[in-house]
Amino acid sequence: MGSFAGGYAGQILYVDLSTGSLQKKDLERDFALKYIGGRGFSSRILWDELEPGIDPFSPANIVILAAGPLNGTPTPSASRLTVAAKSPLTGALGDANSGGYWAPELKYAGFDAIVVKGISPEPVYLWIEDGIAELRRAKHLWGLGIHTLGERLKEEIGDETIHICAIGPGGENRVRYACVLTDGESAGGRCGIGAVMGAKRLKAVVVRGSRDVGLADPERFKAALDSYRATIDGEAWTETLRRLGTPNLVAHRQTLGIWGAKNFQRGTIEGWEKISGEAFREKFLHKVMGCMGCLVRCRRYSIISEGPLAPTYTKGPEYDTINALGAKTYITDPAVILRAHYLCDEYGIDAQTAGSSIAMAMELYERGILKKDQVDGVDLAFGNGGALLHFIEGIAYRRGFGDLLAEGTKIMGERLNAGYYAIHVKGLEVDASDPRGYVTRALTYSVATRGSCHLRGFPYIDEFIKPEEAEAFFGTASVSRLEALEGKGKMVAWSEDWVTLADLAGVCKFAWYRSRSFPMLIKRGLELMNETLVAVTGLPFTADSLLRCGERVYNVEKLFNLREGFGRESDYPPQRFFQEETPDGPSKGAKLNRADYDRVLDDYYEARGWDKKTGQPTPGKLRDLGLA
Amino acid sequence: MSRKRVGYFANRQDPENICSRCRMCELICALHHHAVGNPRRARIQVILLGQGEDIPVTCLNCEEPPCLKMCPTGALYRPDPEGMVKVQKEVCIGCAMCVNACPVGAMTLDPVEGFAAKCDLCQGDPQCVLYCPAKVLKLTDAGQMAHHRMKGFAEFLRNSGEDK
Repeated sequence: MGSFAGGYAGQILYVDLSTGSLQKKDLERDFALKYIGGRGFSSRILWDELEPGIDPFSPANIVILAAGPLNGTPTPSASRLTVAAKSPLTGALGDANSGGYWAPELKYAGFDAIVVKGISPEPVYLWIEDGIAELRRAKHLWGLGIHTLGERLKEEIGDETIHICAIGPGGENRVRYACVLTDGESAGGRCGIGAVMGAKRLKAVVVRGSRDVGLADPERFKAALDSYRATIDGEAWTETLRRLGTPNLVAHRQTLGIWGAKNFQRGTIEGWEKISGEAFREKFLHKVMGCMGCLVRCRRYSIISEGPLAPTYTKGPEYDTINALGAKTYITDPAVILRAHYLCDEYGIDAQTAGSSIAMAMELYERGILKKDQVDGVDLAFGNGGALLHFIEGIAYRRGFGDLLAEGTKIMGERLNAGYYAIHVKGLEVDASDPRGYVTRALTYSVATRGSCHLRGFPYIDEFIKPEEAEAFFGTASVSRLEALEGKGKMVAWSEDWVTLADLAGVCKFAWYRSRSFPMLIKRGLELMNETLVAVTGLPFTADSLLRCGERVYNVEKLFNLREGFGRESDYPPQRFFQEETPDGPSKGAKLNRADYDRVLDDYYEARGWDKKTGQPTPGKLRDLGLA
Repeated sequence: MSRKRVGYFANRQDPENICSRCRMCELICALHHHAVGNPRRARIQVILLGQGEDIPVTCLNCEEPPCLKMCPTGALYRPDPEGMVKVQKEVCIGCAMCVNACPVGAMTLDPVEGFAAKCDLCQGDPQCVLYCPAKVLKLTDAGQMAHHRMKGFAEFLRNSGEDK
């Protein structure tokens, strides 16, 4: 644990692939107190050590894999890993978050984070066991899909209990949104971190650890664990997530009519019942699964045992893959969606951007902007499942039209002079839902520091907070009214500081940062989180200092993006949301109002202490956070 | 009196009542015995068989334990004849012959301290059973396990009878 009483391994591994050198650096106590871990470490290190304006595929880019202090402890759902780099998809800060079992194993192997620089002259993988790291040749592994790679590595190392963070052919071929996969099934999906690893010729990081992760105060920790456990049964999300997984959201989207179906041309889906959480459970669910230490168990393990796509064994689906590979492309064959999910894993590409890119191409095809001979002779109409499967492979290998699809929607829009149909913010495609009727969601997605992201903040507060709670906490009951604008900027800013703690500590947001009870959000996400962090690390965190850490990380990320040239104009949703009304369903007529959006963005900047014109944190704010 | 062990009871018809691979059993075991996070120090381990099959394995509490028979130093002993084999750490030399002898792999060599370590049922209140969110671990004995199997078969007989 180095100089820490618990939680932290106390060491960061620095790897220079250009020279092959490996170096251990001590984790400083002050750094841990200010940034906690995980995304806090990766964002700050990228800010400090990355030159601005570099090509993300050059040796100058840095890939960071970072765990938090709770990874490796028996804290429920402390499973999550952050991987980060300058994104080749957006040119902004890039990071992805992956569940499973890898981040705990990194801690057992004696490290809090790995910082990788340079480019290896030959393909390599990084092997780490109990404090010892070495680079090993990986030429014979280059080209392998994720699942075969896992088998080969286990054979070669002679141990089935290793944990692997790897790229597939997508990363090797520098698909701009190639992902990393841990243990063949947990994606660190967005922003193309896998492509940066591919450019560095780093095929995998393999860990095995048998060291302790310490607990500063084991009895206090056990009490906190039991307090958390007592909240599980009373929280409605627990049962919903266990029963249906994230696909439970399919019904929600249909009920509110907020799908971004057909590349955000429709709010509802005909035949949506075929791809609902219930449908997937009934047809394909083998069992529910949980990441490390999870008491919720929202993951699915699915098997296609009949039909042309059998046999397929895969973790999944998730709501997000149903949305990207089904709703956006208007495909309602659940077996196709599941198979597409599996292939995105096998090839190592982000399902979100893959689905979005193909959906955009489908719209361009239907509008006659793309012709059949430009798209491999395929009838690239919405709903064509065969086309989806064809192009997922084409993307991974940059074959035919797949080569352009592999660039993502922003570049597709530029090359085809069709930027209006590229539905992204800062180059990262809009996921989650269509926010046209929900200005707080639109704000949250658009100011997120890695591009459009629903995980960076928690905008749903105004859907369930009680007026008296809103008054007490945010200073105005207006925050409890969905259609009101007052106080929403402040609410979104607070929600970002708060939810970011999950990424710093290494825990899952579904287990700790989800509820439709505002008091429960505070109890678990702030109070119990603080109690657990103090019991584990022995560091003097308080609820306030934790939120300051969240704020500090958010500001560092903003500084990074500003330095790369992303100003206020990059904090806006796509033009389509301002220009076109949702044409159908319960949200028919929904459209973002520009003046309203400007107002909440102004309020958000003000709440954050950022200059309204530029988004630049003011000198006073930077001094407050120790960033001046 | 039947010998107690922690047993795995999955209902394969219920996707929520099968081992979910959360490994909370491993985490809580190591927490209970060593006050740390380190699943490799757990005396129960989830074995991944692939294609969505995961099964937790721990000590069967044998009537004639091969581990006890094999131990060259007498470090392994069974103070309560109905209870589990236990380890005297001061005597154990870490030769791991017991590890080799156990037919199910439930005897471990603690990776941090180097001594033999095994399930001791946590003084009669096994923590893995308590914390498993899938509720697939139970403090059980051979009689209960046999009954469980017989019940499954009895249901099969009844269902076949209805088909006729």
